[in-house]
Formats: sequence, C-alpha cells, structure tokens
Amino acid sequence: MRELRAALWGVSAFALGYLLPGTLRLPTLAYDPVARTVRFTSQVGGVAMRYYGDLLWACAAGLCAAAAVWIFRRPSRPVAVLAGATLSLVALDVAFYLSRLLASV
Amino acid sequence: MTVLFEGGARALLVAHAVLGFTAVFATTHHAVSALLAALGRPVQRQLCRFGWMASASTVAQALLGLSLYPVYRVRVRLADLESSAPAVVQLFDLKEHLSALALALVLGASFAGRALPAEAKAAESRAVAALSASGAALVWAAALIGLYVTVRHPVGRP
Repeated sequence: MRELRAALWGVSAFALGYLLPGTLRLPTLAYDPVARTVRFTSQVGGVAMRYYGDLLWACAAGLCAAAAVWIFRRPSRPVAVLAGATLSLVALDVAFYLSRLLASV
Repeated sequence: MTVLFEGGARALLVAHAVLGFTAVFATTHHAVSALLAALGRPVQRQLCRFGWMASASTVAQALLGLSLYPVYRVRVRLADLESSAPAVVQLFDLKEHLSALALALVLGASFAGRALPAEAKAAESRAVAALSASGAALVWAAALIGLYVTVRHPVGRP
C-alpha cells in the first residue's frame, strides 16, 4: 500500500522536522506580533515567535518525504517496522515537550 | 498597538472552539473505524467519510489557531499568564506541539485510511489504526488543554 508507506514516512519526517529546528536552534522564520515583522533567524527572543517557522520546516520535511516515497517507490520494508518507527518518533517528540513542561513546574 | 486579527479575536475563538469539537469527534470516529477495520470489519466507507471530515476540520482548526496565536502571545501570554501563571504558559506550549503532531498524524491516517482495501493485510490495517488512534488522542489532549487555558484567560478579553 503506497499510500500507507507515504503517510508513515511523511509523519516520521514531520516529527523529526518539527523537533530538530527548535532544539538545535536552527534558523527559521520568526514573526514579531508587536513590530509585525518576519525575519529568518536563529535568534528568537522577546515576544517574537518561531512556531510558524518550525511548523513550516516540519510540513516541508513531511511533504518531501511522503512525495519521495510516493514517486521513487523505495524498497519495501515491513509495514509494522515502519509504523513502529513512526510512532516512536512521535512519542519522542511528545516525551521531549512533556519533559520541558514538567521541568518548569 | 494593534495585533494581527485582534479585532476579530472573539469571533475567531468561537469558530476555533466549534471546529475543535468537530475535529475531536471526527478524529475519534475515524480512530474507532480504523480499529474496527483492524479487527476485520468492513468499514471502508466510514474510513473514507470520517477521513475527509477529520482532515478538513483539523486543518481548518489549525489555521484558525495559527491566526489567533499572535493575539494570545501579546494579550494573554505576555500581558497576563507569564506573570500570574507561568505553568499555564508551559502547558499551552505543550498544547501547540501536540496540535502540530496531531495534524500530521490525522492527515496521514486519513490519507492511508481512504486507500485501505477491504482485504488489507493485518499489519496495514493495524498501522492505520495506530496512526489514527494516536492522532485522536493528541487532538483530545490539545482540546482539553486549550479549554483549560481559555477558561483562565480567553483571547479578546482585556
């Protein structure tokens, strides 16, 4: 099932693409709602928000991975292994953000 | 100083809430259908129907949330919560991240679910069920946290 494999690769890449820019402080689009400016920077401070940029990185990674699997038909791996890897990456993201919440309380 | 979409923040918040409930119920229905498919029941039509509903409502919900975010950031987070309830700020940050992951899971599950054949292999239908159930769980968590933060200080209120 090509759709399922594309979806699993897409979600995996999304999970990685969402986690890495924020944790590694990679450059991203940052929007300042007070000054109403958009900058491409890794230094996001004050009221500026990097959420839009991180989400764009993740969407781009997910769509590229899904499209690559859809177009190039990678050698098939067992679906159970792919699904396990995908959910593990999502669980890693959830655990990381949950740990940040618990550390701050 | 006016923040983007500040004038219509209340209306956007109401629409965000309505679409939130729609997303919660549509993703839950999709997850139940996917679990039934994994048990060998013929639920392809439900998977297709709820797949469209879940993905459309989740995307619309996310777009409304993104448009409300600058107002929340300035008028709620900066003006109130950072000084009065910093733990709630962190809780809302968690909600943002869960929503983003839920979006990917729901879209992936809907896309794969609509193509799931009636005689799908067990591993394939289980994978769709796992994606869909995880997405629905994250949507539920995001909705509950969003309701809690809105009760504390809704956008559009001084």
